[in-house]
Amino acid sequence: MTGRRGTAVATALLLAALAAAGCGLGPGADVGDVRLTVTREFGAVPVLDRSLAAKESDTVMRLLEGEADVETRYGGGYVHSIDGVAEEQRDGDPYDWFFYVDGVESPIGAAEYELDGGERVWWDYRDWSTTNHVPAVVGSWPAPFADEQHPVAVECDLKPACGAVRQALEGEGVDVASGEPEKAIRVLVGTWDQLRGDPAARLIEEGPAESGVYADFDGSELVGLDEGGAPARSFAPDTGLVAATSRYGGLPVWVVTGATPAAVRGAAEALDTEHLRDHYAVAVENGKSTPLPLEGR
Amino acid sequence: MKSPFAYQPRPRPLQLASPGAAVAYLGAIVAVAFLYSSPVVLFAAGAAAVLAGRLAGADRAVRVALRMGVALALLIVVVNALVVSRGETVLARLGEWPLLGQVDVTFEAIVAGLSGGLRAAVTLVAAAVYSSCVDPDRVLRVLRPLAGRSALTATLVSRMVPVAAADASRLRDASRLRGPGAAPVGKAPLARRLLAGSLDRAVDVAATLELRGYSLDAPRARNRRARSRYDRRFYAVAALVLVAAIAGKALGADDFQTYPSVEIGLGPATLALAALVALSGLAPLRRRPRRSQPASHVDGPQRGLYRSKSSRRQEVARV
Repeated sequence: MTGRRGTAVATALLLAALAAAGCGLGPGADVGDVRLTVTREFGAVPVLDRSLAAKESDTVMRLLEGEADVETRYGGGYVHSIDGVAEEQRDGDPYDWFFYVDGVESPIGAAEYELDGGERVWWDYRDWSTTNHVPAVVGSWPAPFADEQHPVAVECDLKPACGAVRQALEGEGVDVASGEPEKAIRVLVGTWDQLRGDPAARLIEEGPAESGVYADFDGSELVGLDEGGAPARSFAPDTGLVAATSRYGGLPVWVVTGATPAAVRGAAEALDTEHLRDHYAVAVENGKSTPLPLEGR
Repeated sequence: MKSPFAYQPRPRPLQLASPGAAVAYLGAIVAVAFLYSSPVVLFAAGAAAVLAGRLAGADRAVRVALRMGVALALLIVVVNALVVSRGETVLARLGEWPLLGQVDVTFEAIVAGLSGGLRAAVTLVAAAVYSSCVDPDRVLRVLRPLAGRSALTATLVSRMVPVAAADASRLRDASRLRGPGAAPVGKAPLARRLLAGSLDRAVDVAATLELRGYSLDAPRARNRRARSRYDRRFYAVAALVLVAAIAGKALGADDFQTYPSVEIGLGPATLALAALVALSGLAPLRRRPRRSQPASHVDGPQRGLYRSKSSRRQEVARV
């Protein structure tokens, strides 16, 4: 009798502990909508774009598997193919699937990445011969600024461009923090000569393998790189750059820059979905954005 | 008490067949279980193994193996459900666990575990039927010219494991017979005693083998046993099952997917293969001896060896 009562108490305690730990039956309640985008060739070829209701138990992998025909490897944690497009070597260059959540490369696998609702998940199939590590991209704008988990700091010395950047962010409902808050997502705005002293921005000069940005500055010229990391085109002096990077796996750092103040202004005015959507980075020339890397090979 | 898996000679086709034929037949069933993941085909393979065991008179071995197989399958299901969080249909969210991380129990993981568990159960039942129906000495004789030491080791293991199981049973009985007031004997002391006994026996067996000249080269088999009239039947069934399984695999009979959602194909190829595999379990079926046939022609050279007590009694009555 005592043993039976003990078992009942232990069971009740276990159930209470499980309930307290957020456990439950079924997939759980809705947590909000998640935007799922699938593209190829650095975002150039759209494959899928949907807004989906996510539940408590949803992960990036579960969301994708619900919408596309996915083949996995290594116990289901690694995406091998989406809708028949599988990892492969093309003319000696490796191609594979990569994913970004709110414009940031995930440090964990898709099967472990739990969704909280409101995220923008972007899967892209691309050549990674130059680098398999692109820490941040601009194509999920207004993410990562809109997630409200981190303060957003705009570091700027160029008055007209600063205003345009602030306006663009506030237009998306982002509260721009004043001063230099800790653990903030930084937006660096200025000419390249002003920004190159920043350790995160300087990664761009070290090439795509370090920064994940397929662009470089050659004196006063912005140079666009191709998928192989080779210079493919020199832009006009008033061409601006909007790119994102990250140093040592930290929070993303956005760079709104150019060789001249006019170029920076042009880049600042391109902070919108129309110019940035599904691009890794963009060069902005006379109000027209050119996705980077350039198609060159 | 004899282990249920110990070999017992019976006048049934599976026991009378040569070891090669019996192994080919049971191996074909196991091969199907390893080639296929479809629960339909796995159930058919399981049914074939159970049917074969029962027709061969190994009811007890099949029963015990089924019990063990079900327990093992359940264990595989539980482990898979906890370890694998893949699948669209989340049945329960169990929160963060140490080492495992976030544990989501999905229907798909349970079905995948069932498929793996079913495979393990089929293998276990087929192994039990083999163990209780195929004479290990005959297996040794067949394998000796090919791989003498391995054959000897395998045969010794297949002999010693049932002996160790019987020892364990005896020790448990002895501990129970000490009366209700005696302190219970834990599993560890029982295992220690069993290990000590097994080592003693192993030394004795090694000495006996040495004395019988087992360390010398394997002699050529002089008195080859005549082939059983059942051999052809088992070889044919094994070949048929294997060919059908390979062809079925190529034709998509293993149409089964667990992740991200469960899809079980029930196409004609799957159903036909499942039916064939299940029917293969009838191979050890014994044909009733014709009344007009004299007893000396029932099974050729093996007749004298495997006559049951009842048949001997019948012969005596006839005389």
